[in-house]
Amino acid sequence: KQYYHNRKMSILEYNGAAVIAMAGKDCVGIASDNRLGIQYQTVAMDFKKVFKMNDTLFVGLAGLATDVQTLDQLLRFRMNLYELREERTMTPQVFTNLLSNILYEKRFGPYFAEPVVAGLDEKGSPYLATMDLIGAIETTKDFVVSGTCDGNLYGMCETLYKPDLGKEELFETLAQALLASVDRDALSGWGGVVHIITKEGVMSRELKGRQD
Amino acid sequence: MARRYDSSTTTFSPEGRLHQVEYAIEAINNAGTSVGILAKDGVVMASEKKVTSGLLAPARTSEKTYKLCPHATCTVAGLTADANILIDQARLRAGRYAYQYQEPIPIENLVEHVCNYKQAYTQYGGLRPFGVAFLFAGYDIHHGFQLYQSDPSGNYSGWKATVIGANNQAGKSLLKTEYGSSSSSGDEMKTDEDPAKEEIEMPTTAEALRLAVKVLNKTMDGAAASPEKLELFAMTLDEDGNCVHKILNAKEVEAVIAEVESETATAGDT
Repeated sequence: KQYYHNRKMSILEYNGAAVIAMAGKDCVGIASDNRLGIQYQTVAMDFKKVFKMNDTLFVGLAGLATDVQTLDQLLRFRMNLYELREERTMTPQVFTNLLSNILYEKRFGPYFAEPVVAGLDEKGSPYLATMDLIGAIETTKDFVVSGTCDGNLYGMCETLYKPDLGKEELFETLAQALLASVDRDALSGWGGVVHIITKEGVMSRELKGRQD
Repeated sequence: MARRYDSSTTTFSPEGRLHQVEYAIEAINNAGTSVGILAKDGVVMASEKKVTSGLLAPARTSEKTYKLCPHATCTVAGLTADANILIDQARLRAGRYAYQYQEPIPIENLVEHVCNYKQAYTQYGGLRPFGVAFLFAGYDIHHGFQLYQSDPSGNYSGWKATVIGANNQAGKSLLKTEYGSSSSSGDEMKTDEDPAKEEIEMPTTAEALRLAVKVLNKTMDGAAASPEKLELFAMTLDEDGNCVHKILNAKEVEAVIAEVESETATAGDT
């Protein structure tokens, strides 16, 4: 039973999510909120939507929670198989194409998830991509967003983003963009997590935000 | 007499044998040797790389040792083309199990799956069996480090040490005497102790590697051992409890060969 409202809630909004990724100087950052809800009821405050695929590749998945989890598991499976057969690590571009392929396979009964890919390619340059729930890819140089407050996220990124940020500045920018966006969205928030990926490693930090 | 019953896999001979399966095993006895040894802290597998022609391009990947999943690796003796099919089957099985249960596949489970796949070719379809034998090395939390051997019949068994491929009988007899004896004092005289009373002490990974090279020295008929001819593999756990699959590089192989040579030299003096 849900509260009265006049707009029909789409399946992509059932659980709530906010995912954001940005490119910096020789680094990328990716962040998500922590909320898991069932429509307006909050059920968990530690449900992260960013998943590490390897030391230089992360994927963020916003949408229906079951599909978020399933896609994470599927991607891990497919990536492992690739690395066993090819005896090399998967590049972010190949990963993005694989994910797009997996989504399009379900063209007429899709996974309700809209992913964001963030990584460093073989040369160490930042790689960002996003796609819709049926696998239409868009690669960008600056930022990608996804989730129930994607409009807010776009606005914050457009305002706060600057190219070639260092990892500390990138962290700040991501954190501010995420927190301000989720605060105006009932379905996402309850803090967040940010990962900054460089050639040297991954720096992960929890974000303290409004717990509502 | 056997001729009438050996063209079909799916027919028993009057003596109760499946000749096609036995002929498949014969094919493996012509292939490069592979020895596997279970250690206290890991599993080692050493294989003979049979170089058929100097004109062959140097292999970028192994023709003997294959990783199946994060916690299992196998070596092959027999028809490489047949092996590739089964290895892919094993990889798919391990991946699908992990996907379904979100847990690593128990090693025996993986081995049994590959073997069941092989068995089907001895009972259905009129297709020939796979001409491959495997040594599987793996780790799981249920049974720790394990070593399994499988053959074209689809039969498998767990071993502390075993050999497949050319001259495997010679290798096995060497392992029988040398495995588990206090290997640190390699030049100790063998006493007539009751085998049942003798405690088998598992070797360390380092000792197992040396023993494996010793076995290959024997099965390779005294041909000089070198990194080009040998492939040494060791599986251990790192500090976080994750499996480490290591194929030794040329320098490390040289070091093990040298250690074995000095060991046998001093043993010969006693």
